[in-house]
Amino acid sequence: MSESGRNNSVEAVIAIALNTFRETVRDRIIYALILFAAIVTVLGIILGSLSVGQDIRILKDIGLAAISLIGGIIAVFAGTNLVYKELERRTIYIIFTKPVSGWQFVLGKYIGLCLCVLVMVAAMGAFLSIIVAAVGSGFAGASFFDQLREITQELSLIYLELLFVTALATFFSTFSTPVMSVLFTLAIWLAGHLGESLLELGKLSQNPFLAQCLSLVFYSLPDFAGLTRIRGHLLYGTVPGTEVLTYLITYVLAYVLMLLVLAAIVTERKEFT
Amino acid sequence: MSDVVIQTTNLSKELTSSLLRRKVRILSGLDLSVTRGETFGLIGPNGAGKTTSIKLMLGLMRPTEGKAQILGMPAGDKRALAKLGYLPENPYFYSHLTGREFLDFAGQLFGIESKQRRERAGELIKTVGLSEAADMQMRKYSKGMLQRLGIAQSLINNPELVFWDEPMSGLDPIGRRDVRQILLSLKEKGTTIFFNSHLLPDVNEVCDRVGVMFKGRMVVQEKVKNISGEGNYKDLEDFFLEVIAKAEADNGAAAATGTQSKEAVS
Repeated sequence: MSESGRNNSVEAVIAIALNTFRETVRDRIIYALILFAAIVTVLGIILGSLSVGQDIRILKDIGLAAISLIGGIIAVFAGTNLVYKELERRTIYIIFTKPVSGWQFVLGKYIGLCLCVLVMVAAMGAFLSIIVAAVGSGFAGASFFDQLREITQELSLIYLELLFVTALATFFSTFSTPVMSVLFTLAIWLAGHLGESLLELGKLSQNPFLAQCLSLVFYSLPDFAGLTRIRGHLLYGTVPGTEVLTYLITYVLAYVLMLLVLAAIVTERKEFT
Repeated sequence: MSDVVIQTTNLSKELTSSLLRRKVRILSGLDLSVTRGETFGLIGPNGAGKTTSIKLMLGLMRPTEGKAQILGMPAGDKRALAKLGYLPENPYFYSHLTGREFLDFAGQLFGIESKQRRERAGELIKTVGLSEAADMQMRKYSKGMLQRLGIAQSLINNPELVFWDEPMSGLDPIGRRDVRQILLSLKEKGTTIFFNSHLLPDVNEVCDRVGVMFKGRMVVQEKVKNISGEGNYKDLEDFFLEVIAKAEADNGAAAATGTQSKEAVS
């Protein structure tokens, strides 16, 4: 490919990504969801005050859970509508009658949505940090920076999981209606969190065939439980080693890449009747 | 370089109805060639296969049989798409963008440089008469304004060939006059134009040649000057109505023959 061809390819991806970002952040529902996350975080202050010396931990737990949930809702609902909306409004005709390939379209849409989720997670994270500092030891001193570091590490893992969920939603949106895509994405997201139970079930069944089938299902599903486990360690101040982090990031990126390649293949083969 | 810019050979399309899995042929054996600089108008009643023909030529749909070549390349080829402009029927764009932002977006998809994009968008906004609404979000645009913007985006890359599907739809008489002017100026520049329309006086005024489609078939292709100038018809409408009446009669006769032969077999 020539230099200008490469530039054109990148330009188209950037254009689609920025358009998707603009479209998503201008959706008012997102702000209602963020407000909900803020209210839940503030409620964490009340729940924390009921505990003995664990107020900051409870506040952080509740705040991070709210960010994870709201980030997930944005990723699932915006992601599953990504391609469908373009088809329904027939804006897709405008894109695919220009020199744009299926992979550029899918990648642009995915990057745009990930950017939006990043901004939302960062905004909710900033709010949580402010609340934690206000309730705790203020905005200065080592304690505040320790809290900030812990929240940032947690948010990074939450975002890594959301990258995964966004890729799942994007993939399903290329060939299915929004309702079905939401169901598929939520089912896989949930199954990914409960994956290890499948292995346990296989062992308990004492049926080698069933155990093998369940272990096959376990290995094909994304391992969200691994991410949650590491977040649990972080909450108790244990930072995972570089090897674990490298493995996690590679695992997520490989899965995301596979889903995007499949989504691009589906889009490329699509007919716009 | 070849002078033929659109070439279709036996272009056909069948769709499968989702409920009964029955195959429906929506386009049959379209043979067409349009030369460089020509303005070709495709006319026909609703459901005749005009939009399907354009979608097949652009690669939005794949043919069941036959092929289409655009600018010497297979339909949907990115190198050909880089040189053409397309206006869909009843266009609807991103309501969150302003007209100017949308033109910029369209230019970016062609890989046009930022400065050039801005200049071109400014020129086109003036050409289509949207100067006052250029920085307004498209959710506030009327149907006619969207149509004008659709025309502008189809010209952002200075195309060699344009496909316009019902360009006059939704426009008031002033809008129609403006679009006719744009068509004529494109024609003067040597741009090849392929468009569908129900508005026969406009087709008559700007087209060099017309094709009449009926029930998925191209019934006739004729030069406009042979119809309304030296021809036997009062105007294009007169020609169109006669062609369609004949096509309907032939279709009825063919259906009756089909029924008779089925009866004979049984």
